[in-house]
Amino acid sequence: MTDCIFELKNDLNKNGIFFCFSGPISQDLIVEIGDTLKNKMRLEDASKSSMRLVFSIIIEQAQNIIYYSEEKVRPWSAGVNAGSISVGIITVAKKDNSYIITSGNMIKTEHVDKLKEKIEKIKGMGKDELKQYYKSQRKKDPDEDSKGAGLGLIDIARKVSKPLEYNFSSIDETVSFFTVTTVVAEGL
Amino acid sequence: MKNLKIDETKYTPEMTFDPETLVIAIKGKSYPENTEEFYKPAFEWLEKNLSDLGKKGLTVNLELIYFNSSSSKALMNFFDMLEESVDNGDNITVNWMYEEDNESILEYGEEFLEDIETLPFNLVPLKSRE
Repeated sequence: MTDCIFELKNDLNKNGIFFCFSGPISQDLIVEIGDTLKNKMRLEDASKSSMRLVFSIIIEQAQNIIYYSEEKVRPWSAGVNAGSISVGIITVAKKDNSYIITSGNMIKTEHVDKLKEKIEKIKGMGKDELKQYYKSQRKKDPDEDSKGAGLGLIDIARKVSKPLEYNFSSIDETVSFFTVTTVVAEGL
Repeated sequence: MKNLKIDETKYTPEMTFDPETLVIAIKGKSYPENTEEFYKPAFEWLEKNLSDLGKKGLTVNLELIYFNSSSSKALMNFFDMLEESVDNGDNITVNWMYEEDNESILEYGEEFLEDIETLPFNLVPLKSRE
């Protein structure tokens, strides 16, 4: 285990990752992650506007994990009826003056096509189109299988400096691992 | 008519709905885990009391420093509700307050304004606190 952690640390460093969490993600943890990043960025004299962008993107990505992760744990201390907590991974890297936020979680394999379609649609939109799409979705009732307002990914796409990157790794017929990467360039 | 007061938390705003002063104030951050559930008491209160308050003249002061996408949806629903009331002859004014250097909150305000037709909606700059 000792060796493995050292290797993990080296891998993170190699990729410029200065923050990494993998495990159950609660709302309280999201608050801590947000504050930790703000403090770190403040130390680096990041601009207020990029701090706000990174904060807001990480909240959307983390809450998407809470809403949609197929991997859940139940707190050991809690009773049978206690709510379960969603499991996922969030990393933040800094490279060439950009902040790179990557998150990953299990999703149902049957949802892969629909999610892919949604991301591709968003990726194909320009700034104004995204704004109109965001506003029209905000006026509509969210989709049945949406747990927030269905606006998270569109909101993220409006804030990033580079198009969203994503990946689906098929695990088996029922679950796949979904990863999404967002980039915020400092000084924008 | 009872007032509604909800204290601020790390991720939800302070809300004060006061029928005596005729002011609704929402202040702070808004990124609850379950937005619909969090705002439910506020919407229920409004359904009961909005038409009475609107007749007397209601001011809505919003001073949000950050909100997530599902809160943005809740705000749109809120403005739609207020606008409907205004269309029925009520007197309501919304003050969207933003810190001078928080261009993100200003932009959100401008975008709400674009989607609003009859509801009086002011963008109000505040001195930056940091």
